Order: sequence, then structure tokens, then C-alpha cells
Amino acid sequence: MRSIRTILAIAVAGSTALALAACGSSSSETTSSTKATSASAISTPGYPSPTTESLGGKRGGTLEVLQESDFEHLDPGITYAALDYPVVFATQRPLYSNKPNSTEPTPDMAAGPPEIAANNKTVTVHIKEGIHFSPPVNREVTSEDVAYAIERGANPDVANPYLKTYFNSLEGVEQADGGPIKGIETPNKHEIVLHLDEPKGQLVADALVLPLTAAVPKEYAEKYDKNKPSNYAAYEVATGPYMLKNDAEGKVLGIGYVPGKSATLVRNPNWNPKTDFRPAYLNEIDIKIGGSEPVIDRQVLEGTNVVQNEPVPQSGVRLAAEHYKSQMDISPGGGNRYVALDNKVGPFANIDLRKAVWAALDRVALNKERGGEVVSTVATHFIYPTINGFEQAGGLKGPTGPQFDYNEHPEGDMAIAEKYIKLAGYPSGKYTGTQTVQVVGASSPPEKEDAEVVNQTLKNLGFNTKLTLVEVSTMYAKYCGVPKEEIDVCPNVGWIADFADPQTVLDVTFAGKSIEPVGNVNYGQVDNPKINKAIAAAEVVQGKEARGKAWAKIDDELVEDAAAVPFDWEKTPRLEGKDVHGVAMLWNEGAWDYSFTSLK
Amino acid sequence: MSTGVAELLPPPSGGGGLEFLDARGDVARSPLQLFWQRFRQDRVALASLAFIVFLIVIALAAPLVVGILGLPGPNVQNLSLTNAFGSPLGPSLAHPFGVDPLGEDVMSRVIYGTRVSLEVGIIGTLISTVIGVTVGTLAGFYRGAIDMVLSRTMDVVLSLPLLLFGLGLAAACSVRGCLKGLIEPGLGTIIVIIAFANWPYVARIVRGLVLSMREREFIEAARALGASDARIMFREILPNLTAPIIVYASLLVPTNILFEAGLSYLGVGIRPPTASWGQMLAAATPIFNTAWWYMVFPGAALLLTVLAFNLLGDGLQDALNPRTAR
Repeated sequence: MRSIRTILAIAVAGSTALALAACGSSSSETTSSTKATSASAISTPGYPSPTTESLGGKRGGTLEVLQESDFEHLDPGITYAALDYPVVFATQRPLYSNKPNSTEPTPDMAAGPPEIAANNKTVTVHIKEGIHFSPPVNREVTSEDVAYAIERGANPDVANPYLKTYFNSLEGVEQADGGPIKGIETPNKHEIVLHLDEPKGQLVADALVLPLTAAVPKEYAEKYDKNKPSNYAAYEVATGPYMLKNDAEGKVLGIGYVPGKSATLVRNPNWNPKTDFRPAYLNEIDIKIGGSEPVIDRQVLEGTNVVQNEPVPQSGVRLAAEHYKSQMDISPGGGNRYVALDNKVGPFANIDLRKAVWAALDRVALNKERGGEVVSTVATHFIYPTINGFEQAGGLKGPTGPQFDYNEHPEGDMAIAEKYIKLAGYPSGKYTGTQTVQVVGASSPPEKEDAEVVNQTLKNLGFNTKLTLVEVSTMYAKYCGVPKEEIDVCPNVGWIADFADPQTVLDVTFAGKSIEPVGNVNYGQVDNPKINKAIAAAEVVQGKEARGKAWAKIDDELVEDAAAVPFDWEKTPRLEGKDVHGVAMLWNEGAWDYSFTSLK
Repeated sequence: MSTGVAELLPPPSGGGGLEFLDARGDVARSPLQLFWQRFRQDRVALASLAFIVFLIVIALAAPLVVGILGLPGPNVQNLSLTNAFGSPLGPSLAHPFGVDPLGEDVMSRVIYGTRVSLEVGIIGTLISTVIGVTVGTLAGFYRGAIDMVLSRTMDVVLSLPLLLFGLGLAAACSVRGCLKGLIEPGLGTIIVIIAFANWPYVARIVRGLVLSMREREFIEAARALGASDARIMFREILPNLTAPIIVYASLLVPTNILFEAGLSYLGVGIRPPTASWGQMLAAATPIFNTAWWYMVFPGAALLLTVLAFNLLGDGLQDALNPRTAR
């Protein structure tokens, strides 16, 4: 799960999603029909979307990008934020990466699909010939550069945020500190073999889409990696079609990237289009950092060769929808949003009270306040569109039937809610317990409003509530992610996966084994033995269809358990100027893909 | 404002209730009569007073007022009053001040917000004035070591960065409260912070006045008659300080109202869903370009209220202390 910094973005905790076996090991150039259906089912009609955008374009020109926030990290070994990825994926080539309109990995620096041994303990990747580093390194990329890229992730002065999550089975990775890792072998210049001590080949193979696998030249980067912390980013070289502008020594800082001010991407003279699937239409990308979102929105909508690259606040969505419809690209698959209820302590340990909240919550109103149908879809379960298993879990309608009556009225139904409150042992149909319910939400819109709607729903059901609104980061770090705080209701938590595999959506968020004392992302402390067992079984299922089915069943069980109350499958809007043919990354919250975007 | 007060208000031991003729032969008036005579000539101050009385009535009778106007309650959410993009709808007959992003009636919330502002303004000021007057009187009367200790305490409190203090307290105590729930963000805490922050200002002024007053003849007379310290302080000296204290307190009220708005704006004041003007202004800021009414009406309410209290304070000062230039 990537962290996102902008105000309106899904504010997710800083921990990572554990992913096993994303989409099978085939090269997956084709998009599965299931996925295509789910994505288009929730695309907003009348607006451009990554699923419908043509990938063609005209060569040349300079694109201007306006963004309010600065980048977190542009070092390929550290980067893990939605806002950083457009630059990172235009300049760096991991072994595999996603085409903008797809959530399936495509071989990038790799020559073909990863070869996973029958025992699931070895992964072999062949690397294309003819890929060169940008100046001043200039030489051809070899498998040793990929080995070094992964090894430096374990260097405490680089500290890759997900190495131990996805590559923990790599032999010797636990002891690694930046030096050679025992499990990485490079038999020749264009072959890399990863030896694992557990049968988790599929997980490792899927994680090769992450920028950690983008080649880094050891002889050049080593001296920067010796600094505490590493300052390789200030001198980083590229393998992609673009590079951060630099000087003869390779210095990027102050030239191609001025923190807090700007970044400039120019063509990488050593990039060979024959080795890449990226068309790279643009000649240059000028990124300006700073300003404020409402002003940026207007500048972009009234501008020509300009885009903004952060989620658009509600006022911008309205402005675009009313006057500049063709200039707003809306990407489905922006993650899910749900109300976390403490399943372990307090009133919501009672399943019927959880169902009552689900039944009473007006999910349509909640989504309206979040920007309406243009940017949201009423959620009826947890696996969100674009993720494998969405259709098997009931698609847009979700699980239905008498036992799911609380899920069948998105506008909220007090009669059904009262039925469940009575079942919970409160004959009046209102909660009459004495406990005050702690509700902790985020203080910025739209989370603030979410919290107030949820709070009012609880009051309508008879609960005494205490609503506290704090900064989003505080909400996760101090309250919703800390079980001992015993926060009964976190009205607005969300999740966005690193891969399109359903396990990345449901495992750490709902498995009992993933409850942590701090930085917990199983916000409701869901620890249902039946669901735990099903999760353990589904983790080792192989094959895309089978995995979709297995996890969809877990999704059903979570709904049946009312483990949390999902309300929104988010869609993320991005704005473009009149002369821009923007292509957004379906797999990265609709951020613009600079390697596919062109000028009209 | 520290001069002329004694002349204006004769000492209570001096037979204040008697009518006597002055040099020109006019009937002398009681201090209150004198004050009222001057005050009622000040139309601005009178209008401000009327507005404040109106506000107090509105605040006390908020549910009734909202009911009479046919408005929904302040916390009634109605998302059908927002457009397809969740933008709130503007002023209409049914909702004269428009609605907010949750479809809550802005006018209703502005009316209920009056309660918070007045409670904070008036109660906070009362508490800080009582503490300030007591401490200031003790310090000025006893001088020496007591004065030293009390005055240095005032200096310390005055040097605290109040806004940061409030922010820190609210951040630390927001969810579970501090000191076993004694401190929690909300009205009570804001009032305590305000009282704590403002008493030294009052105390300093009172101390200065008491220092000069304690040397006056009527005090010596009282002392000679064997009056206790407490009697001298609270029966002899204090009544003479009524005017400056009232003036200062009336100017403290608007400051406190703004302070509450500031804390609520920063998200550490009044807890939602309770309506507060500062909080409404904060929520209105990001959507100002699509919902001006959400900012304009609470903003106007805040502006008018603070202005009214300031003008009233000025009027009181002029009426109680005619020596100060208009």
C-alpha cells in the first residue's frame, strides 16, 4: 500500500500491504475480462478515464505540471508515494511495470515473464539487452545492477519501506545491511536468480513491479550510498525514457530537482525505444511545486499544456464537471473507504450492533458529501473495482439476500437497524447501554464530514458519542492504529493495494494475525476464527481465477460478519489543460503517466 | 483610565446616598445617574448595548427562535440540500443563510453559535476578572514579598504563548482527556484557558490602582478606626475601582470571543457537531469559492458581535471616565 500525501487523498497508514501471488506468472499482456468489466462498470460516464483513453499521441512539446506538495523520495529504492511514482516510472525501469490502463504487470527491463521453479523457491528473470543508463554512467544495464538495487534497499541509510514485506523469504535478507545478499545470484550479465528459503516465489515475482528492482549502477551509486542517509537521489541516473536534468558529474539536486520548487524531466539520450513499451511522446516535463489546490485547479482548467497531479478537491471537481468536462480524467480503483468498528472491545463487539450501524448508515449521503457519483461509488463489500475478485464478490451490488438485508439499502434503513438493535438485546429498538462511544475522525474535508455523518447515525441509533477530529496522520498513528486506545469507531479509514490481487486488500486489514500494538491496520481488530482460517487457506491458492474466487468468499464472510462498514469505492479525478491528451495510471490512483501523455 | 476615578465615585464612607448641592446650586446626582446621563447620549454605545441584549435573548432562546423561524435544528443533516457534486445550496426562503456541506442550516447554526460565543466571552471574562481583581488587590495592598510573588507569577503567565498552549493542551487531551478527564477540549477547557490567560492583565491594572488608593486619606481614616485589612480592601478600596474594572472587562469580552473562534478555527476548540462560529469559518475556508454564504454569515455574526462589545466598552469608558478624550 502506498502512502499518499495530499489532503484529499486516501490517507492511509504507513504500513505495507502483504501481497501473495498477484496475477499469476504469465506475462499478462492481455487484460482479464473480469477486470475490464469491473473497471468500466464504475467509470464515470462522460469523462475520460484510463480504461477508455487511447494510448496514441503526437510527438514533441513540453508539459507543465503543477503540484501543491513536494515529492517524498525520488530515489527508486525508497520511493513509495502516489505523487512520486509518475516521475519515478518515467525515469526508472523496474523488471516489470504496469501499462497505464492496466493493473497487470508487463515485462519492462525483464525480457519475459519471471520463471518460478516448481518448488516455488527460486525466481529467475532474464534482462533485455541494449538498455543503457543515462549520462554520466552511459554503460549497459546488467543483472548486477538489479542485484545492487535490491541489496541497497537493505542498507539502513536507504531503508526501503517494503523490502521486508515482499522479499522476506529471500535468503539472507534478514541479515542484509547493504552488502551482497546470499540469495541473489547473477549467473551472467543478463540473468538474475533469486533463491528463497520459503515457497513464496509467487509473492516475490509479483513484487518485481515495485521500483526497488529498477537498476542502480553500483560503481557510481556506492559513494552516495555511504552517506547517512544516502544521497544517491541527488545524483541519480535513469534507465527510462526521461531523466531528471543533471550536470556533467550527474548532479540532479538543484538542477533537475529543486526541493520545494521544481523538477525538470528531459529525454534520456541513452534510452532505446526498441527495448521499451513506453511511447514517450513529450520532449520535456516541467514540474512546479507549491501553490494551493483551488488556484492550481483553475490554472490547469484554463491553461493549455498543463496538468495537475494531485487528487482534486470537491470544489475543483465541481468546476470541472460544470464547465470543463473533457478536461477531467476520472480513474476507478482509488481504493476502498470504510467505517472501522472495534470488533473486540466495547458495544461493537456485538455483531448485531455492527449490523445495525451498517443498516442505518446512509452511504449515498456519505458519498454525496464526498463529491457525489462523479468521484465515488457506493461500496457494498470490501474488494474494490480493478482488483481481482471484485465480480466474484458480487460486483457493484455485493452480497444480497435475507441475511444481508442491512447491505441492501444504501440510503440507510432505520427499521432494519432497529431490528438488529433488538436482536442485540435492546427491546426498544434504540441502544440504551451507558457506554460512551469514542469516535475519532480526521479534521480535513471530506473526512471531517464523513465523521459527522457517522456520528449522527450513531446518535440516531441511541448511542452516546464523543466525536474527536484530529489530523489524518494523528488519527492513524495515535488512535485508529493503536488497539489499546480502544477507539470504538474510526469513521473513515481506507486501503489501497500495491497489486491487483485481492489478498493485498483483505489480508493485513482483516486477518487476526495482523493485529499489531502500534501501526495496526486491522483497524477494527477483526479476529474471527472462521475468517482467519479461510484467509490462511486462500493465501496459498494458485491461479488468478481461483484466487479471485477464494478471496471473494472471504469478502462475503466479512460482510456477513459486518466486520466494518464499507461505503465508498473511490474514483480519483485529475485535471488537464485544453491541449493535453493526458493518460492516467489506472494502477496508481489515476496520476498522469508522463511516458504516455502527449500534447494535442 | 487610572486617574480621575476616585473623584468620580465618592468613597462609600462619605455618605454617597445623601443629596447635596454643589457650588452652582444644582441637585447633585448619584454616580449611577451621572453615568447613565452620559451614557445615553452616546448613540453608538446604546445601539451596541441593544444589539448585545438582542444577542443574549437569541442565545437564551435559541431553540425557540429557530422554531419560530421554521428552521431545522442546528445538527439536522440533509444531504438532499447539496447538489450532485456535494456542494451545499445557497440562501433560499427555507434556508436564508444557505446550508453547509452536510446540508445543515447555516442560519440555525449561526443562532446556536451565539451561545458558545457569549458563554465563552462572558463567563471567561467574569472568571478572569474575579481572579484578577482579588490577586491585584492583595498584591497592591500588601506590597513587599506578597506583591513580589504575585507580580512575578503574573509575569510568568503573561509570557506564556497562549495560542500554542491552547493548541498543545487540546492536542494532548483531545481524545481521552487529561488529568483523569478533568481537561477535555470543549467549552469548559476554553473558558479555563481564557480565564487563566487573562487574569494577570486585570490584576496588573488593579494592583496599580490599589497602590495609589491605599495612600489616600479615607483609607488612613478607616485604618485609624481599626478596620480590618479585608474590610479596607474589599469595602473601602474596591468599590472605588468599579469603573475601570467594568471598562476593562467589557473590552476583554470581544477578545475572548475571538480567541474561542481562533481555537475552534484551528480545530481545537468546540467539539463538533456543536455549532461555533470559528469552527464554521474553518470548515468554510476550503469551499469558499463555491459556498460563500458558509463563510460570510458566521463571519458577519462574529464581526458584529465583537464590534458591538468593543463599542460598548468604549462607551462605558467615556461615560464612566469623562476625563479621557473622546
